[in-house]
Amino acid sequence: MKLDNTLPLEYRSEENSNRIFGFWLFLGAEIVLFSTLFAVYLTLWNRTGNGPSGHEIFEIGPVLIETFLLLTSSFTIGLAINSMRQGFKKATLVFFLITLLLGLGFLGVEIMEFVTYVHEGATLQTSAFLSSLFVLLGTHGAHVTLGLLWGGGLMLQIKREGFTLDTANKSFIFSLYWHFLDVVWIFIFSFVYLKGLM
Amino acid sequence: MKKLFPLHHVMGYLFSLVLSVVALSVVFWDMSPAVGMTILLVSATIQMGVQLFLFMHINEGGSKKALYTNIAYALFVGLVTVFGTLLTMIWGYK
Amino acid sequence: MKWDEFFVTGEPMIYGAMVSIVVATLAIIIGLTYFKKWGYLWREWLTTVDHKRIGIMYIISALLMLFRGGVDGLLMRAQLAVPENGLLDGQHYNEIFTTHGVIMILFMAMPFVIGLMNVVVPLQIGARDVAFPRLNAVSFWLFFAGAMLFNISFVIGGSPDAGWTAYFPLASIEFSPTVGNNYYSIALQIAGIGTLMTGVNFIATILKMRAPGMTLMRMPMFTWSVLITCVIILFAFPVLTVALALMMFDRMFGSQFFTMANGGMDMLWANLFWVWGHPEVYIVILPAFGIYSEIISTFSRKNLYGYKSMVWSMIVISLLSFVVWAHHFYTMGHGVMVNGIFSITTMAIAIPTGVKIFNWLFTLHKGRIEFTTPMLYSLAFIPIFTIGGVTGVMLAMASADYQYHNTMFLVAHFHYVLIPGTVFAVIAGFYYWFPKLFGFRLNERQGKLAFWTIAISFNVTFLPLFFLGLKGMTRRMYTYSESTGFGPLNLIASIGSVGLAIGFILLVYNIYWSFRYAPRDTTGDPWNARTLEWSTHSPVPEYNFAVVPKVNGLDPFWEAKKGGPALYEDKIEEIHMPNNSGQPVILGIIFFFFGFFMVFSWWVPAIVAGIGVLVMLAVRSFERDHGRHIPVKEILETESRLRGEQV
Repeated sequence: MKLDNTLPLEYRSEENSNRIFGFWLFLGAEIVLFSTLFAVYLTLWNRTGNGPSGHEIFEIGPVLIETFLLLTSSFTIGLAINSMRQGFKKATLVFFLITLLLGLGFLGVEIMEFVTYVHEGATLQTSAFLSSLFVLLGTHGAHVTLGLLWGGGLMLQIKREGFTLDTANKSFIFSLYWHFLDVVWIFIFSFVYLKGLM
Repeated sequence: MKKLFPLHHVMGYLFSLVLSVVALSVVFWDMSPAVGMTILLVSATIQMGVQLFLFMHINEGGSKKALYTNIAYALFVGLVTVFGTLLTMIWGYK
Repeated sequence: MKWDEFFVTGEPMIYGAMVSIVVATLAIIIGLTYFKKWGYLWREWLTTVDHKRIGIMYIISALLMLFRGGVDGLLMRAQLAVPENGLLDGQHYNEIFTTHGVIMILFMAMPFVIGLMNVVVPLQIGARDVAFPRLNAVSFWLFFAGAMLFNISFVIGGSPDAGWTAYFPLASIEFSPTVGNNYYSIALQIAGIGTLMTGVNFIATILKMRAPGMTLMRMPMFTWSVLITCVIILFAFPVLTVALALMMFDRMFGSQFFTMANGGMDMLWANLFWVWGHPEVYIVILPAFGIYSEIISTFSRKNLYGYKSMVWSMIVISLLSFVVWAHHFYTMGHGVMVNGIFSITTMAIAIPTGVKIFNWLFTLHKGRIEFTTPMLYSLAFIPIFTIGGVTGVMLAMASADYQYHNTMFLVAHFHYVLIPGTVFAVIAGFYYWFPKLFGFRLNERQGKLAFWTIAISFNVTFLPLFFLGLKGMTRRMYTYSESTGFGPLNLIASIGSVGLAIGFILLVYNIYWSFRYAPRDTTGDPWNARTLEWSTHSPVPEYNFAVVPKVNGLDPFWEAKKGGPALYEDKIEEIHMPNNSGQPVILGIIFFFFGFFMVFSWWVPAIVAGIGVLVMLAVRSFERDHGRHIPVKEILETESRLRGEQV
């Protein structure tokens, strides 16, 4: 295997750098996927039928908590990769753990929010607006959930094997995924919640 | 500690918090929808840039040009989908 | 659910199909067991990650689907041959035109094109495999799972019946209460994920794995067309993913996206469908342009005229393909401004397409043209496709379209584009690259006979439809009265469709005959061609090239044959290859069952299968498989055996 030792571990083999490149392509597809969900939401957001509008059900408190948790987790996964590049295994694992816990916290608040909506009679079936809201948020939430499982698995692998071509590459790709979810959340925060409360 | 918390990461984090607060202003201050949407669009776009360049290191590695093209193409298709759908489904009927 | 709701009952043709499915399955199982081929099948095919074999499996599946979709087409033509025909009832006819469309586009044209890309692209760029061989196998098995799931719908549960476009409200649970459209949303979803992964894989392959010296502007035109196609796949398929998911939510979980009440918007479906659907048209047509470019250049013995303008026209087409979708529903009632914008963008696409037509004509100009079977398809393509293109410009004018919309004129138009465009191209590509895969050419005389039968019958079948459309016959009508005067032209079209069927049977006979009797080719370059894939042996060894070629310009193999710089200078070294794996096929099977349970809303088994998918992902994440190395000695042995030397 040809290795280029001037590069960080996660890029070093040709296979590794291809994987990172391939994942960027996949993120391009994800941009379009979320754009389409936004297109649906923005088309349907004031078609509330007999159900409540966004202004009536959105609450700024939980949304701010969610935003803070996810922004911080994006920061900590960046720190994890930074520690990985310097070979600090323990610090990397700690930052990974903090990231996943913050992600878990985000998910908990989001689920509570969903439960509140349903109690107020705002369900997936109520109106076109609510269908598009639940599916947009749900798709993002499902991505976070998958990220938690993925990140947990990676922590086990780093713990077992240390930093190898494989684990470094996977961790870096995971960090791309996590940052991307943060970007998507920023857009949800701005164009679903803040626009709805404006 | 300095090695664990590099300056540009910390700055990026603080910057993204500040941008969120700026975006939040649209809810608490009275302003026209046009001004509000402009603030939201600008702050969200800058936030995306912060993540892409400071955290995701899009400008490292040997395929910079291809990665920029990829993101640009994705944004093109994404924006066409959002605004094209609004055009054909809502604005086109006015 | 009772058994008679589960299986489709009361139709003699369906009973016949059930019996034949059971008989064929038994025959395959017994045959494999009797000839002790299970192990061979598993080791060499089901678990393979070799791009050439995956390509062959794609092409075989596509040929099977061509016949399934073809039978649908024949049944439609049989029903319409005479007025007031009672062969099919309205419901059955609806199901048949729906499955015909879905199968021909998504399970025939796409896999055929993807199969050819798999076979050819790594060879054309001098690579040993694709960037992600394992992912490539996953792509295939997800496509295959989706295709099989869609195909069982006609005996289990009933087929979708709302057209291949599945417009709401017709496709809603209210108006299509059977599971048919559940099959549509889930089978297409599974196959679509596979296609998206193919897109990622081939962009990475083409951008990162080219042989040294092969700059982007030295790539063969087919590789260029695949690159652009995959870019369109990458950015168009997520839209389909979302649209199908929303359809599933509406039908299975009571959401209100496309409903008629509670704020739902039925036309939003049409909008999303075509945001994906129009780029999809270019996904199946651009590789065809690439194939024709290769063939026309090879058999004119000239390099391709206007290489750079070919590339740029494809890039422009790829961008324009995303901004024309509303021309599929001009009659929806949005204002003049919207229709005006989309009319202009649509007509603009004719410009880069016209550039390509002229480039092919100038390539032919003063060439030493050789009329081989693939060349005949390419030459027939140019005029027939132009008819399709010109009628497309007629349809592009929004105000005129009110007259043609949803008539047989439209049906004739898109068959005139897709059949000479995509179908002729994949057949031509199949004839052209067949010797590379199997080491012998298909018989030329039989091939030409099949070509003439297909080309003539195609025009007899579809030319009358233009006139029927102008006379006012709408599409998707299951019958018509004699007083309409549609009878004679319909009869001519139906006779033509029989000719098409005969043509395809001749083609299959051609393949069968050639497997048994055609003389073997030992040169590796039976057509005297120009690009890298012809510089290695036929059939291609698993590592493709013993030594990675060095490229110094366009058409490097042609230049090398003419005394230009040599392609292979390095010494043979050991070659790193990926290992086979059973995981992709197992993942495909789990996805199939997951989809099946979802279709029938059997939640518990569906959740179990869903967990199965997650487990497979975890297994892959924890696996460490770094492939294997082929030693130099083995390579030398293979090379001399392929050169026909005695070992």
